Amino acid sequence: MILVGELSLWVALLMATWTATVSFAGGATRRAELVASGERGIYATLAFVVLASAGLWTALFTHDFSLRFVASYTSANLPKVYTFTAFWAGQSGSLLFWALILAIFSAACVFANRARNRELMPWVTGTLGVVLLFFVATICFASNPYERLDWVPPDGRGMNPQLQNPGMAIHPPMLYLGWVGTTIPFAFAVGALVTRKLDAQWLGAIRRWSLISWFFLTIGLILGMWWAYVELGWGGYWAWDPVENAPLTSWLTQTAFLHSIMIQEKRGMLRKWNVSLVIGTFLLSILGTFITRSGVIESVHSFAQSAIGTWFATFLGVVFVVSVVLVSTRLKDMEAKAELESMVSREAAFLYNNLVLVGIAFSVLWGTLFPILSEWVRGSKITVGPPFFNTVNVPLGLGLLALTGIGPLIAWRRASVQNLQRQFTVPLLVGTGTVAVLLLLGMRHFTALVAYGLSGFVVGTIGQEFWKGIGARRRMHGENPALAAVRLVTRNRRRYGGYIVHLGVAMIFAAFAGYAFKQEYDITLRTGQVFRARDPFGHEWSFTSQGVSQYERLNRQVTAVGLVMTRDGTRLPGVLKSEKRQHVDSRGMPTFEPSTEVGLLEGHMMDVYLVFAGMTGPDQVELRLSFNPLVWWVWYGGIIMAIGGIIVMWPQAERARQGGYVTQLAPEHAAAGASPARETAGVA
Amino acid sequence: MSAHGGGQGVRTLRHDVLLRERVAGRRDFLRTVGVTAAAMLVAPALAAQDEQPPQGPTGAANVEMDQSAYKPVVRPPKPNAVRQMTDAERDVMEKGMKCACPCQLDVFTCRTTDFTCGISPAMHKDVVRMIEGGYTGDEIIAAFQEVYGDRLLMAPKAEGFNVAGYLVPFATLGTGAVVLYGMLRRWRTNAATAPAPVVRDANVRPLRVEGVEASDDELRRLEMALKDDGR
Repeated sequence: MILVGELSLWVALLMATWTATVSFAGGATRRAELVASGERGIYATLAFVVLASAGLWTALFTHDFSLRFVASYTSANLPKVYTFTAFWAGQSGSLLFWALILAIFSAACVFANRARNRELMPWVTGTLGVVLLFFVATICFASNPYERLDWVPPDGRGMNPQLQNPGMAIHPPMLYLGWVGTTIPFAFAVGALVTRKLDAQWLGAIRRWSLISWFFLTIGLILGMWWAYVELGWGGYWAWDPVENAPLTSWLTQTAFLHSIMIQEKRGMLRKWNVSLVIGTFLLSILGTFITRSGVIESVHSFAQSAIGTWFATFLGVVFVVSVVLVSTRLKDMEAKAELESMVSREAAFLYNNLVLVGIAFSVLWGTLFPILSEWVRGSKITVGPPFFNTVNVPLGLGLLALTGIGPLIAWRRASVQNLQRQFTVPLLVGTGTVAVLLLLGMRHFTALVAYGLSGFVVGTIGQEFWKGIGARRRMHGENPALAAVRLVTRNRRRYGGYIVHLGVAMIFAAFAGYAFKQEYDITLRTGQVFRARDPFGHEWSFTSQGVSQYERLNRQVTAVGLVMTRDGTRLPGVLKSEKRQHVDSRGMPTFEPSTEVGLLEGHMMDVYLVFAGMTGPDQVELRLSFNPLVWWVWYGGIIMAIGGIIVMWPQAERARQGGYVTQLAPEHAAAGASPARETAGVA
Repeated sequence: MSAHGGGQGVRTLRHDVLLRERVAGRRDFLRTVGVTAAAMLVAPALAAQDEQPPQGPTGAANVEMDQSAYKPVVRPPKPNAVRQMTDAERDVMEKGMKCACPCQLDVFTCRTTDFTCGISPAMHKDVVRMIEGGYTGDEIIAAFQEVYGDRLLMAPKAEGFNVAGYLVPFATLGTGAVVLYGMLRRWRTNAATAPAPVVRDANVRPLRVEGVEASDDELRRLEMALKDDGR
């Protein structure tokens, strides 16, 4: 099976080459048999990439340490679940995993469009084939997981202990699903540009793919934060590391696209902008991969420096140039007579939102790449760490939060003063009320107050929208509130799912603001010694050291310290325990440097976070203990965003045309690019 | 917005029971304990050590240390030296200093987290020594910068070319805002010169309803509710 897998990789290379070649040829010559052959080529590529992947998994589970990849990332005593996830623990395996996801997505896309978008499909298939070809070629020639060692070691090196975590088992696949998902919209953009079919049709074809990509990127980012928080031990969930920033930039431009697409659908505007966002998001995903894997930028998470950086840089350059040429030669085809009745309108709000989202994406990218730029210009290296990103991005983030609340309140086309008054009163009251309450409670942190005020404003906006919608349904249909709420959401998933996503965003911003009140203590305790502290909510805590214990587990030796806790004089159940782990291979040989396992007492409002930093004597431990407020709000916010995303993505059942009345634009208006069907009131 | 950095809101306190001076080799101590225990268990297998496959790339933060990255920063104590900062202020200062190890963390976080780093405790010792020697925060940072260069700072000082680092994002956003404003104005002009939408179907009514005081958006919502009676 391993040999079959290895050979399959090379056959997949041939298949991807065939797919790209015949698909483009079929598109150019309009020969249906070539197009069909290209589409079958995608399926064949998928089959061989699956075989190649199965071969590698077989090698992992059979502990074939003659493969460098298997020897480098697994050991005989590695738990089965991590033997499975070792597939993406290293450079070459993760590239194959990427190719696998891309092949699955590509095949699904071709299958879903077997009777649709036929004019675009040759170019879509060809583009997917090219991207597949790039990844498979990179695997074959620059980073092959089937590379063999000259000798067979008795055991492998084992997996990095910090990857032996459920979060890290799920987080990379989610991120890859998100990043790979950007390829499909990109392929459709290329198809639309080549064929000059730049109306709203291609947007309809990619909207769900964009949502899928956004959904997985969201989950991937949140899981990455969770993993960093529980596993890395530095006490936070976001460090503005280049590897964190890379998917964030893609997520931001993807989010911008999901907003601006509505303007093109409703008004026929922003064609160039939407194409640019789709291409930009794909380029950012490749750039992010380049940053992560080339070693060009220092990052604690990145893969080791390797030659594949050159491959990615070249591919990035080629895609950029081709995209620029395609867009610049199709500018006239994307002209649409744009009209805007008022700068205070929903359309304008979406554009402001796009400006801020893309502005944040740019600032994150700028900060990530600035050390390289600075070194070029000044000749000396600098560090661009969290203080820089916080300085630049906190104001932009707050601006975005404000727009999250403002956008839904403004009417399409034009908002009157009376409309604004009616719409803004409640959300503003909620926002200012939140600030007032917090001031009364003694909060004086300006940025946090602004963040909480704006979060309250957003929640007020969402609450008002639901209240009005539910009220309307109750009046119209006599439904009870729960049924009205459910039907409100299910009958307009896109709109109300979007509001649920906004609610998650507001929660995450509130959590970020809570981080300003984090308290950290650097303490040293002997067995039986007590440390007392007051948390940000005013509770009195005591922590009594239970001393250090040492024991062995399946693949590690553990040194642990435990603290008994009381809060406001009440003994809490359990012991807060943090560990140092020395992982060993099947022969008991130490594999990696000792790692830290944090102790966590989690709560809805605050976590107690313990890090066993080291021992300063036989009976004396050094600890970092912190009170981290509202961390769970990040996870809750992420879950809510994911639920909102699922609601938005969920297919809307086609219902029979209802009675009542609809509005349609006259032909002369529709000619400006608006789709009459989309102008139908309430249809989103 | 998160991160471990020393945002101004991060409060760091130090308890009385704290050990004043860290034992420099605490990480070495732990590592020795772990490695020795492992070695005792598998002494016969030690000979096979050479057969280990070459170290593959690490996928995450278990970074390999280069202890030689540490460079001592030593200054003689000032005459009649008096401490110029509290421990809490020192910790905040250390949060602005990057550890020289590959962990990408600041000195405070690194030394209290343990990425098996011996560098951040050593840098911390140098900081403590200078504080005891009567140096101010600015003097300590300057001394460290002399040795480690500009990379020491977790964020570049806003001077010289680095100013661009801080300004370009806002300048770009400002430029984008100006361009957007120009576009919106043009589009508004287009709208003003365009003929008003006309109704083209007998079943279609205009959005404006005489005698009803409601915005277009509200009327659309009403339409949506009316239309959506398929329960």
